Amino acid sequence: MIRIDKLIAQRGDFSLGPIDLDLGNSSYLTVLGPSGSGKTLFLETCMGLIAPKSGRVWLDGQDVTRIAPEQRHISYLPQDLALFPHLDVRENILFGAKRRQLDKDLTGSRLVSLLDLLDLHGIIDRKEVGTLSGGEKQRVALARALLPKPRLLFLDEPFSALDAKIKRQLQIKLREINQQLGVTILHVTHDQEEAFMLGEQMAVMIRGQLRQLGARDDIYYRPATLDVARFLRNQNIFDMTIEEVLPDGSLQLGQAIRLSAPGYAGAEKGQRLAAGIRSEEVVIIRPNKPIGPELQANLFEAAVSDILAFGGTHTLCVKLNGSDVTVDVELPNCAMRDLGYAIGDTLRVCLRKRSLWTLPRDNAAFKGGLDDPL
Amino acid sequence: MPQRDTVFKITMLLPLIILTSYFLLLVGSQSAFFSLSGFIEQLSQSDIRSAITLSLVAATLSSGVAVGVAIPSAYALARFDFPCKRLVDTFIDLPMVLTPIALGTLILMSWNTAIGRTLSSIGLTLPFTLAGVILAQFTVVVAISVRMLKATFEQVNPRQEQVARLLGCSAFGGFIHVTLPLAKRGILAAIILTWARAVGEFGATVMVAGTAKGQTATLPSSIYLAMSVADLPRAVTLVVILIGISLLVLFGVRMVLERNR
Repeated sequence: MIRIDKLIAQRGDFSLGPIDLDLGNSSYLTVLGPSGSGKTLFLETCMGLIAPKSGRVWLDGQDVTRIAPEQRHISYLPQDLALFPHLDVRENILFGAKRRQLDKDLTGSRLVSLLDLLDLHGIIDRKEVGTLSGGEKQRVALARALLPKPRLLFLDEPFSALDAKIKRQLQIKLREINQQLGVTILHVTHDQEEAFMLGEQMAVMIRGQLRQLGARDDIYYRPATLDVARFLRNQNIFDMTIEEVLPDGSLQLGQAIRLSAPGYAGAEKGQRLAAGIRSEEVVIIRPNKPIGPELQANLFEAAVSDILAFGGTHTLCVKLNGSDVTVDVELPNCAMRDLGYAIGDTLRVCLRKRSLWTLPRDNAAFKGGLDDPL
Repeated sequence: MPQRDTVFKITMLLPLIILTSYFLLLVGSQSAFFSLSGFIEQLSQSDIRSAITLSLVAATLSSGVAVGVAIPSAYALARFDFPCKRLVDTFIDLPMVLTPIALGTLILMSWNTAIGRTLSSIGLTLPFTLAGVILAQFTVVVAISVRMLKATFEQVNPRQEQVARLLGCSAFGGFIHVTLPLAKRGILAAIILTWARAVGEFGATVMVAGTAKGQTATLPSSIYLAMSVADLPRAVTLVVILIGISLLVLFGVRMVLERNR
């Protein structure tokens, strides 16, 4: 469907790329990145609104790098939707079909099915798009984008201005559109929940580069670079040294604490690395309860140094005994209520080996060191 | 706090009241010299009717050309980056800060260059011709038009143009189907104000085309001529006509802006 080869673009001082990407038919890719990471520039370059400095964009096997945007058959839903205020709702939706001079009968039947799918029958005859609610505007903009039957749909943070309930409804609707209409979707967002919920494939873009591309669990649990780990809110990251590479390939790590961690190709004794674990993967060992073999390693006595309450979860900040290391442990509210921890309480925690990820320090992934801010 | 608010309101309103009174005084003072029968009698004179016609025709043509040139120029300034853009942007403002007499001088001097002489040789002469009046008015008003339209185009969301491109419009198509309709209000306001400024233009027109009665004498230059020979009834009649046109135009602008809000 879309293939991007070593794409490099520039806007002012900001450089994008080189970016390589291959996206198949009917797939849904979310590109997640912080604000200012180049997501919109990436879309604009793929759509032909900005000429790349170098690299190629292919659509269905055709090199479209030098082809005008209107000939690429990509639809675009920008953050502000960019509805046309001088046109009524119907004219907005039909804009693309009219400009492309599509067959009227086919357009009519497709319009009806889109009105059904997006529940637009009640507002299709409204005269002013400015009077629509946020959710209605989103649906009108989606219908406008989908009516000309695009090869690809590009979404640029389309739900950022909506309240949570409508946002969720539209996210579900987008999944339906992807599955029912078979439209290939490339969706950029800074919203991690949205990216993980929608993207069957995911990419993380930081400072103009696709740092990681893969399945959502890979990205969530096995960040490819330190800045991806930090951006995805990995709170527990430790500066470690390999003390020993065990015969089974796993690693014995040491420095402020000692950890047993999964190995990686090229691991050598003495090598420095970063190891991390997501706060919801840290296990609290209940007293007097038997523990399985996978929880026998990386066990620590600890004391609760702080408790942070969020909406549906609590984070316990626990200081590991005999070190200055503090580990965040995330608990759902119900578990927190059952356990009833208070500051100063002691407990045992396990940094489960299979949940640990490691990144060698000499790797290109280890950008800027542990304290490099995003 | 409410007392401070009142003081604040009075501080802001007082200058407005003084200003409005001053303008009312200016306009009202004409009534001492104005009579309806005198007005009708003056209107029956052919050179006054000719001045009115010339002013309206020349202003329509010059503002039409000015807006026609200003739309693409303003769009280019609002949307594109090109070498020396800041310099070009500043240079285009020159007629707005230069006195019209100086502008008229510049036009006349330019007609003494090779290009000017070539144009003269094919019959495009400026003194005492309609072409001279139009060129003078165009030169004065085009910068205003560019400035207003640039601000208008800057207010049009470029994303809407980009979405139009991706929905199948060429660059020209996007401009016609999206940018122009969205800029309609600003364009109409620019047309009306450019036209009004052209109707009132005096300095450059007198310098370039002169004030030949029945030929190049516009409303403003006819007022000047009437005052120079102390013909007050004639001057007042012309002033009243200009005030009428100006009020109509200002009212028109307001109506257009209100209706398209």
